[in-house]
Amino acid sequence: MCYLIHFLLPFLAVFLQSTVFGFYSIKGTLPDLVLVFVICFSIVNGAGKGTVYGFLCGMLEDLYLGRFIGINAIAKALTGYITGRLQKGFFRENIIVGATAVALGTLLNAAVLLVLSRIAFPSFHIDEQFVQGVLYQFAYNIILAAPLYGWYYRSSRIGLLKLPGEK
Amino acid sequence: MPGFFKNKVFWSGVMALVATLILINMTSSERENITLLERILRDTYAPLQSRVTEMRDYLSGPRSIFIQKQELSERIAELEEEIARLNLSNQILRENEEEIKRLRSIINFRDNNLDKYELLAARVIARSPNNWFQSIIIDKGSIDGIEKNMPVITSKGLVGRVGSISQHTAQVNLITDREIAVGATLQRSRETSGVVEGMVEGNLLKMINIPYYASVKPNDIVITSGLSEVFPKGIDIGVIYQVTEEPNGLLLSATVVPTVNFSKLEEVMVITDFWPVSEETEAELPALAEE
Repeated sequence: MCYLIHFLLPFLAVFLQSTVFGFYSIKGTLPDLVLVFVICFSIVNGAGKGTVYGFLCGMLEDLYLGRFIGINAIAKALTGYITGRLQKGFFRENIIVGATAVALGTLLNAAVLLVLSRIAFPSFHIDEQFVQGVLYQFAYNIILAAPLYGWYYRSSRIGLLKLPGEK
Repeated sequence: MPGFFKNKVFWSGVMALVATLILINMTSSERENITLLERILRDTYAPLQSRVTEMRDYLSGPRSIFIQKQELSERIAELEEEIARLNLSNQILRENEEEIKRLRSIINFRDNNLDKYELLAARVIARSPNNWFQSIIIDKGSIDGIEKNMPVITSKGLVGRVGSISQHTAQVNLITDREIAVGATLQRSRETSGVVEGMVEGNLLKMINIPYYASVKPNDIVITSGLSEVFPKGIDIGVIYQVTEEPNGLLLSATVVPTVNFSKLEEVMVITDFWPVSEETEAELPALAEE
């Protein structure tokens, strides 16, 4: 059951982002719900699994978008890996840890996407609009991270999202 | 030699990274067809996205009932005034249109009016799920006769062009997307042929390649020039907001506010029978006019 839910979560996230959040964007900026789920997963399950999950979720998003397929896969895999590594030594049950990880992960994800975009699309440049977009997404993701991380952490400890073999 | 070089996981990761970079490169340019997997994904989402859009329309209905009566009366008065004004300008435009038709028939000029095109109405069922690409999904696909690169408009102006198509949906790349460039001209002066492109984020456009001597000022209307071979001539793109000088001093650029509100797009129209004027035909036009 937990595998099915983990499989469906990114599908649901892409669906919500392309519909509900599309109609309620902040100054044209959407949250990155897929990224929030990847970070929640990485904090709870560690860097290795986080990297694979991030890659698959990013690939799903790329296939839906149909352009530069793989760009989100690499960015989310790397974000999953780094947030998974950083979680060691923190109290994972604390929502603030989740929200902070999502905040850092959003910036990291944007930085990786920026580097990859520069490689794939040389004329790409940073301007005020770009920075503004990242900052809006940063705020939007943090707002979503608090309740989502709380739900995810509880479910992964005692609920439907607990992976087999986890203590 | 560091231990991780002997690690299978490390090498699997490197291989996955290289394969993904190749994939990014392969899909960075425009593709003729999308893969079966992408098509299945898009067509699976489409009915669900349509339901959400319908539900949203349904829920927004009762809310409008509670709008103040006075507000509605004021709005009706405003609209009546606007209709009267538009009726008057319509009369003038009809006269001008007839005159243009007569003159064009004299010089055998190709009719490029928007009203001659077949328009297919479509509903916006989804938007791009991230901020990096500016696109929408419409509920018409290959089964309805939609083809790649068809121009998409609304009554307000230019929206974008059709990108990838599945059986029941089509992805429309908006003109605010940084990959789209539209040949543009200024309606007032007609002397400038620039290029309008999307900015990285937000709903603004940038007009580039404007010569420093061009007469361009805020509130000038920007329209399609018809030179990009994808969009018909004369469609509204936006209004000049700010003009800035490029560092080289030879060119100007301008921020353009689009006439279409992309965050509130609900219905669009696809031009299904636009065939651009080829360069050869374009070159022959002055000669035809002289004859």
